[in-house]
Amino acid sequence: MFDIATISIILFFSIIVLLAIGMPLGLASATLAIAVLCMKFGPDFLYGRFGMGPLNIVAQRIYGILTGYVLISVPLFIFMANLLERSGIASEMYNSLNVWLSRTRGGIAIVTSIMAVIMAAMSGIIGGEVVLLGLIALPQMLRLGYNQNLAIGTICASGSLGTMIPPSIVLIIYGLITETSIKALFTASFVPGFMLASFFIIYIIIRTQLKPEDAPLPEPGPDEVESGEKTKLFLTFLGTVFGGIASLLFIRVVFFTVTGQNEVKEGVDLITWGTPDYIYRFGLFILVIGAFLAFMGISRVKKSWNMGKGLVAPIVVIGVVLGSIYGGITGITEAAGMGVVAVLFLTIIRRELTLPLLWDSLKRTLKSTGTIIWITMGATALAGAYTIAGGPAYIANLIVGAEMPTMLVIFIMMLMFLFMGALMDWVGIVLLVMPVFLPIVLKLPVEELGFFGQSLEPKHVAIWFGVLFCMNMQVSFLSPPFGPAAFYLKSVAPPHISLTDIFKGFLPFIAIQCLALCVLVVYPSIITIFL
Amino acid sequence: MGQNIKVLKEILWPSIFILSLTLTIAVFPNFIITLGWASDDFLSIHEGKIGLVNLIVVLIGVVALVLGTLTVSHSENEIAPENIFDKFALFIGRVTMLLVVSLVTAMFAEVVLRYVFEAPTLWANELCLWMSGFVFLLSGLYAMQQRNHIRIYLLYDILPRNIQRLCDTVSVLLILFFAFSMVYGGFGEAQAKFLRWETFGTAWDPPLPATIKPTILIAIILVAVQSLVNLIADWNKVPQSHSPIDETEVESIVQQNQRES
Repeated sequence: MFDIATISIILFFSIIVLLAIGMPLGLASATLAIAVLCMKFGPDFLYGRFGMGPLNIVAQRIYGILTGYVLISVPLFIFMANLLERSGIASEMYNSLNVWLSRTRGGIAIVTSIMAVIMAAMSGIIGGEVVLLGLIALPQMLRLGYNQNLAIGTICASGSLGTMIPPSIVLIIYGLITETSIKALFTASFVPGFMLASFFIIYIIIRTQLKPEDAPLPEPGPDEVESGEKTKLFLTFLGTVFGGIASLLFIRVVFFTVTGQNEVKEGVDLITWGTPDYIYRFGLFILVIGAFLAFMGISRVKKSWNMGKGLVAPIVVIGVVLGSIYGGITGITEAAGMGVVAVLFLTIIRRELTLPLLWDSLKRTLKSTGTIIWITMGATALAGAYTIAGGPAYIANLIVGAEMPTMLVIFIMMLMFLFMGALMDWVGIVLLVMPVFLPIVLKLPVEELGFFGQSLEPKHVAIWFGVLFCMNMQVSFLSPPFGPAAFYLKSVAPPHISLTDIFKGFLPFIAIQCLALCVLVVYPSIITIFL
Repeated sequence: MGQNIKVLKEILWPSIFILSLTLTIAVFPNFIITLGWASDDFLSIHEGKIGLVNLIVVLIGVVALVLGTLTVSHSENEIAPENIFDKFALFIGRVTMLLVVSLVTAMFAEVVLRYVFEAPTLWANELCLWMSGFVFLLSGLYAMQQRNHIRIYLLYDILPRNIQRLCDTVSVLLILFFAFSMVYGGFGEAQAKFLRWETFGTAWDPPLPATIKPTILIAIILVAVQSLVNLIADWNKVPQSHSPIDETEVESIVQQNQRES
């Protein structure tokens, strides 16, 4: 009925109006999907006969995404994170990390960042992480007289890493709607994620060295170990952990060999670290570790174990989730399921799992699932309707035809993401904007992307853009006026810390996030290091 | 201990409802035949009629639905139900929560059977896919009753209450229009697949299209009705300021952590 230019303009303004009046995001997009079909085909054709017609396309799109196996990982990862947040694993981990760095300047801030990275590798969402760090680390830092801005910024910036370090729910949804391999996205985001985290830690170290009054050292406790001995204890603890992991892998490979599962077969991929020759490798490794531990002495092993045992539960969870994905054992969905089971087992062993806790976690899970999935449904419907109307191709041609420099296009997109991220939830942006932006990016000449490093392979462009988006959304968690991390922290911070104080503390960390974003833009091949 | 019993009570009716539904779905082709909805093609594949046992199972399911809805209780972190629709949404929420548990269980069973006992199942993956369809669709109703769907309050919160009411009314009308359009366009396919009891065409072959297609329309209708119910229930409430985060979530995490320390 209308041409695609008119439809695009009407759609653009209708989205703004509907969102401004506070219509739920998912249902607003779903309604607009109907509107786009109406503008394309005309109401007579659409509502000609009851029970059929192009309107059914919307139902088919929804059915299509509902029957995707990977989408199941979304509620499972949310469930897992909810269980973790309600267990004591986080606070125990804090104690076990803090004991090693208690005599270092800025130690608690560094511990907070490291802890956030570990939690990020366990769960794929933010929110609970910021709350937990705010509950555990903030009182400690304020008690010791840390600079308030440093404390706040560290907690919220590090606490937002949950969606940057795999597993990440942002990357799962991005991978789903753009049909990009989620495993590849996870692999690609490792380096940028750790880069961002190390930027935070470097910033903390430099700042506290330059201004020691920002991070006063605590008085040494009565049973404080001196630093040389502490290093030995730490090495002993590392030895114990690696020895434990090696023993588990040893048992695994022996099990495979006994049951004959790892026989070399034509056309079947070899089991990672599971072929019979690994019996000797792991056996040798265990012997070396055993000798090392014997050298350190049994009392040190015991002492270091007591100091560091809070790290074991997180290592187990990370091992199960990432090990399932990268060990070639299972797909993303089963990995999430195994993660849930692992956390359930851990909480049972720790005697924390109660029926009310489980029930409460399920309620949370259901709420978050309902909101994310219904936005996904609505936005997929809209993207589908808009594609039928020829929208993405039209806009891509418009941008490419304008002959703007490639990097200017990327730069403008980044600015738009930052702007939208300040106002909207990431899930709305990825679902509504990505179907328009990604086709444009894919049409840009690949050799002109970035300034340094080798140019990307064409198949890696979608992965790069996904990681870029994910990094961009890191900023959105902190940016005023709606940065959710600020509100999460506000809800558990002492009342005298106002929202403005919190956002003020974010400024250097937002600058660091932008720096990391720039690195990713000018040096795209950083994502291919592990690919 | 009292807490545990409270949760068990909450699980009782939803469990019975799921059980009854499962048993009914397992023999549903017989229902289609007995009710006289079957086409000739259908009769050439399926045969059999329902017996008294099937009817009793359905009756138990209906009783569980009614009693579960009437007796549903909410926790302090949830928005309290104010009318029968809210209670129904909460009950469906409880059912969906149990489905999530079943999903995890099935997935765990599959991984153990496949990698430890080398006896992969045909059914586990497809069962997960099937159940997750219901979880996704029905979780939207719970999120709607809990006013949890993501909205942008930037402008909304500074509007006078009367304008807010107008905005909400427009939203609800549009949602109702969306639901109407979906049913208008999708009813034919959903009905046909349901009456054909169309299966997934895979190894275990669950009747996934036959059940999920109609559930999409039903879920959309339920969410639309719930949005109308919310509009009416919130009509005379004072304006609230909205935080970009769910504060009850924070409360619940804080509570759990205090309980431990």
